[in-house]
Amino acid sequence: MLLHINAFHLDIDSKQFSFWHFLAPKTRVLCTLLLVFAIALTPNGRWWTWGIYGIGVLCLVLLSKVTLPVLFKRIAVEFAFVAVILFGTLFRSGGEIVWSWGIIKITSEGLTVLGSVTIKALLSLLMLNLLTLTTSVPALLNGLIALKMPPLLVAILASMYRYISVLIGEFNAMRRAAASRNLTGNSGWQRQVIGNMIGALFIRTYERGDRVYQAMLARGYQGVPPVSELPSGGKRDIVALTLTLILALLGQAIYLV
Amino acid sequence: MSFDLSFSNWLHWVIQPQLALHIPDGFLSLPVSLVCWILAIALITLCLNRVQAQYQEKAVPLMGVCAAFIFAAQMINFPIPGGTSGHLLGGTLAGVLLGPWAGSLVMVVVFIVQATIFHDGGLTVLGANITNMGLIGTFGGYYVYRTIRYAIGRDTWKGVAFGVVIASWLSVFVAAIFTAFQLALSGTVPLGIALTAMASWHILIGIGEALITLAAVSFIWRTRPDLIYHPPRRFSTSRSLTPH
Repeated sequence: MLLHINAFHLDIDSKQFSFWHFLAPKTRVLCTLLLVFAIALTPNGRWWTWGIYGIGVLCLVLLSKVTLPVLFKRIAVEFAFVAVILFGTLFRSGGEIVWSWGIIKITSEGLTVLGSVTIKALLSLLMLNLLTLTTSVPALLNGLIALKMPPLLVAILASMYRYISVLIGEFNAMRRAAASRNLTGNSGWQRQVIGNMIGALFIRTYERGDRVYQAMLARGYQGVPPVSELPSGGKRDIVALTLTLILALLGQAIYLV
Repeated sequence: MSFDLSFSNWLHWVIQPQLALHIPDGFLSLPVSLVCWILAIALITLCLNRVQAQYQEKAVPLMGVCAAFIFAAQMINFPIPGGTSGHLLGGTLAGVLLGPWAGSLVMVVVFIVQATIFHDGGLTVLGANITNMGLIGTFGGYYVYRTIRYAIGRDTWKGVAFGVVIASWLSVFVAAIFTAFQLALSGTVPLGIALTAMASWHILIGIGEALITLAAVSFIWRTRPDLIYHPPRRFSTSRSLTPH
């Protein structure tokens, strides 16, 4: 989640050649959105639906030739955080009691919710990681513009993305400065110093915003960073979208008949 | 606290990943997500229009760096009373420094980047996360702060300080309560468990948030009071060079 922030090289598989990579970024974003919404918004307990979606997601993972160890490592880190909240879903009344120990009771309904939510969170994370592993951030932003997201919002997103590492670097410099001046003391004092640093960082940030604006004007700013040769879409994209849509509907339909 | 401990604490500030109020995918049901999405989209549209009108061409660079600032500030771990460590959520800080519209927009941008690029918080529940922390945390937090500040004294540090402390604690706590209700309404976690877990934990988190927001705002109040949204009147027309 935030562990790979310093490296900041999220799209390690964006230069591969596969069916998935030949799709336009907007198609990839749309397919991901469609699948994630279908996965995450299916009511609890519909195991077959997620079975179908799971097969679809697995096929995509294999088809897109992503580096599997990296994918699994990221999922593991991200899922560790989900797991903390998951625990709360287990203890509930309703259904028959499967296991009990004192006042702690685990019921069949609790297990259903736990299983459903785990599968939903896991499949969604797989799909989202697949997207960010294979698509660079500028390409993603271009995809968002093509999907009619407000250009101002996308431009702000783009400018923020560029400055995250700058500001983290600036804060690290302040931290080193504090450490080199023997900053110790109790936690109250530490808190005060961190507060001052955050304040100082904001003042520098605000002034940086002014400077960036001047520089932007001087250089002819266009909004979104340029990207080198992206597939623009075509028959392949329509096929991919149709297949995703069919998959999404198929998963839901299995409980209608 | 021994020197060793505090020093190693010091070095681990930035690389600590954190667990915020961000709800992951799959935890909210369709109706709850849908209602939150409608609220979130309304908030985003309003904010975009207001910010565009207020800052014009400057909107993009200024909002961009401020969002990056909040993102960086959220990664800093600090000790909170009670022995654990916490991190800033920054909603009230953004509201106090940038005002309700720009502040909410900055928070929204942070959540979108966290959900899409860093997978911190789900995509389908992004609407809920924006509603909880952007609408309630930032927008609500700002108006609580403003009411208290104006009641005690607009241009006094006492008014600002009380406003900041109460608003930032309240914004975290109320956002946590809302999250608990959303989880319960979706049938994911029973209401009792969700409420007790979220409330008891965020009473502490809120104290940390209040203390660190207060420290940051007091630094800005002392050094560059003109950067606070609605600066004290002495500073609002021309930048004074006399020390405070």
